[in-house]
Amino acid sequence: MTTALDAVLASRVYHEGRAIRRTTLRHAHLADAPLGIVMWRLGGERFRAAAVAWGPLGGDFQLAVAGEPRNRDLYFAALAPFARNLCAAVRRAAEAKVARRRGRHTDVLPADAMQIVVPNRTSVAAIGLLGRYLGYLSDRAGVVPDPALIEAGRHLRFYARQARVPGQALLVPLDRLVSEHWATLLSPFEQANLAVLDAQIEPPPGIHGFDAATLAEVSARIGPEPTEDIDRVTTDLLQRFNENRDGSTDPAVIERLLGPLQDHYARLVEPVWALMGRVVERERRLPAAPSVVRRFEGDREAFGHHVEWVVDGGRYRTTDTPRQAAMTLRRLEDALARYKAEKAIEDPACMVPYLLDGDAIRGMVASVNDQHRVVVRVNAVLRPLLALDTDEPVTLPAGKKLWWIATADDKPWEVIAIQPRGSGSRVVLQLCAAPRPDRLPSAGERITLSTLHTAADGYRLALPNDPPWTHRPVEPPPAPEAIDAGDADAPTPAVDAAAVPDPEVYR
Amino acid sequence: MARHQNRIGPGVEAALERIRGRTAQMRPSVRRLSAFANVHACPTAAVAFAARVDTNRVFTGTSLEMPFGQSPFAIGRGVAFEALLRRHGHAELRRALSDGLGVDFSAAGVENLREAYPPNRTGLNLRVSVTKSRLIEIVTNPAELIVLDGAVLRADIGGLPAWFEADEMAIGVEGKVLVGENKSWPVVDGRPTDEDALGSALDQAATYVLLGRRTLDDAGADPDLVAGDAVLITPRNTGLTPVLHRQSVESRVRRIERLLQAAPQVGDIADGVPASVTFDRVADTSLPEQERMDAFDEVVDRLGRRYEPASCLSSCGFAWACRQCAFAAGDPSMVGGVVAQSLPGIATLDRVAELASGAPPSSSEAPAAEPLARAARLFDEAVPVAAPRRRSA
Repeated sequence: MTTALDAVLASRVYHEGRAIRRTTLRHAHLADAPLGIVMWRLGGERFRAAAVAWGPLGGDFQLAVAGEPRNRDLYFAALAPFARNLCAAVRRAAEAKVARRRGRHTDVLPADAMQIVVPNRTSVAAIGLLGRYLGYLSDRAGVVPDPALIEAGRHLRFYARQARVPGQALLVPLDRLVSEHWATLLSPFEQANLAVLDAQIEPPPGIHGFDAATLAEVSARIGPEPTEDIDRVTTDLLQRFNENRDGSTDPAVIERLLGPLQDHYARLVEPVWALMGRVVERERRLPAAPSVVRRFEGDREAFGHHVEWVVDGGRYRTTDTPRQAAMTLRRLEDALARYKAEKAIEDPACMVPYLLDGDAIRGMVASVNDQHRVVVRVNAVLRPLLALDTDEPVTLPAGKKLWWIATADDKPWEVIAIQPRGSGSRVVLQLCAAPRPDRLPSAGERITLSTLHTAADGYRLALPNDPPWTHRPVEPPPAPEAIDAGDADAPTPAVDAAAVPDPEVYR
Repeated sequence: MARHQNRIGPGVEAALERIRGRTAQMRPSVRRLSAFANVHACPTAAVAFAARVDTNRVFTGTSLEMPFGQSPFAIGRGVAFEALLRRHGHAELRRALSDGLGVDFSAAGVENLREAYPPNRTGLNLRVSVTKSRLIEIVTNPAELIVLDGAVLRADIGGLPAWFEADEMAIGVEGKVLVGENKSWPVVDGRPTDEDALGSALDQAATYVLLGRRTLDDAGADPDLVAGDAVLITPRNTGLTPVLHRQSVESRVRRIERLLQAAPQVGDIADGVPASVTFDRVADTSLPEQERMDAFDEVVDRLGRRYEPASCLSSCGFAWACRQCAFAAGDPSMVGGVVAQSLPGIATLDRVAELASGAPPSSSEAPAAEPLARAARLFDEAVPVAAPRRRSA
């Protein structure tokens, strides 16, 4: 029934001419000045960032342009300032630690973690690939690569992997942030374009959001993969650059020749940078949901572990063992369930789909009987009863467990009986625990109960070191290895689509 | 086997030409076929496909022309990768095949059919017969290793012939024929850097497997001699060094088989499409954009449309035009198929809004109307301060 809500919201967007908020709270942490990264690759070259722009979002960006990103020396020289900046910022963020007590256990974690913001999910993938490349570089002709590049690569790879965790805010792709918080006329396919989303949220006066979005789709370029028109310009500029440098990688020569390519990429980055700043500013205006702090604490913890590991020279597996993969999958699934639950419990707008689907009920508390006893094994113990009058008819099986959203991290209520009453139902529920003032709503209160809860289902043990699985790979996954063999090969010449019989073959 | 139909009549040819008008003619390829597979439920797309209209070029010169182009660097990379495989007597291809398949290909015969025949229809037909005779020759004598570079397989799609050019057909591995496809995107840690591209590459390979089997079947040989595993040759990591991957494409073969069977028959299209339907004026670059758009609307009104953003926007050159029409009509399909399917009997978003605010539904609207009204009520309860209505009456 989520689709019914989507349809209603779409009809309103259509009518009003602009996107509307689908949440009342912001469900992601946004730092005061997150690190923005905008990347442009060379077409088809998954590991070659032709331009990287970075800086505190809302401020100015720095731009690294290699000129010829397929020349290893030029590429690494251009990326070095970015790498050094990134490493310094990560280490600085991890320096200040705070103690955290959980029960009797105390640990330390960074007081803050460095948040990175990128325009879209494709940028996350691009960051992951760049990180994989730089994080494991081999020596070339006895020359050891800049350690800052290697460390930065491992940071980038860590960020891209952490971005898979539902509800995380360490690396925020803005297209996802915006589409989670706004209802638009855009299909999921189109929601990957941040400029299009933005145009539908704030169209120019007098223009319908749909028209503004189609205009933005034609004109805006977000990256990281360049379109044909961009790289036609790049082709000419790069050809001139390579002719003029005539094989030289001397920084003095390069710096003199780099101007036109730098201007080309600066022109591409500027609108994206401004767009990202505007989008983050707009989302920040929405108050953060209470659980945002808890989720970012998880991010800080992961960030702290990562920095300790990498600074001490630790390496990560680049291919998971089956055991690792299974445990990671469970962790991601748990995080997703918890994120969904927290969103709906804290934000009434996000609870609507659950109410529509019958996974949540809402109504007025008719009475609370906190003296009700039931026999559990031997003794009669207190198990309070609650009568709830709902606005709408409820169909739920007896025995169904529901959590009051105010105590979603505590014990559930069990459905005992349901009777029709007026236009709705009277639902009798019994608490699965002894009464306590904070566990009981008061008569006359309007409450919501749902199947969503945030307490762990039980203590989860790690898998044994050698899980007794019948199907396993013949060979263990390879140790982390460098993937840079061949990265110093001569660049392949650009070919115009008109020069080949069927350019589609190369897609 | 009734797969290869007799020549279509001149009446059909004329009708298809009329539908096509001045639009660029599309040469059916495995990529065009899988693009069509995504939109085959749309009547307009089906007619355009049958008449071999290049949908990507119909709106050239208008704001509705969709950017399907590629970066020259991406094309250059693809060209260079193919050239690398062929260089020095296909040395790199032989090495990749030997390493990946565990059979020594260093002395295998590699026939480059691309170079040996002219790049026209006669050449394609010659390559079809060479491919066919080689396939049969070799499955009857599987001791010999042979690689066909640029094998061509012919299929009838909806009654019209189409030629499909496979990158490689390697013959003699485990007594079978293996179909290969080259792609220039890298594979890192055993994973593709582009999941979508992997899917379409495997679809392409599956088409060659299917057509290879049909070729053998028609010749009376055992079709299962074409292996259900496809071979994908891609660069490894950051360089261009080719590496081979094997993956089963059987389920894709079955899907493509169904698709070929379901492809619209040009004979039916020629008979069934009204004589006034043509893309001629839509593609007329001398006309103003609005007139071309109106001409497109006329065609679509006659034929019908099925707009589904996820598949249309990635596969059909008409998609932006259809999206524009959907918006003008307030058609819920513009938001996505899932939403549209939840609204049986409700044609417009305006009607959705009316029903959501409590307008009495007609009997056909009733099933979908109730959840809409509930959703609206619950959402307004949750978000009491609604944004100001701009166009409200």
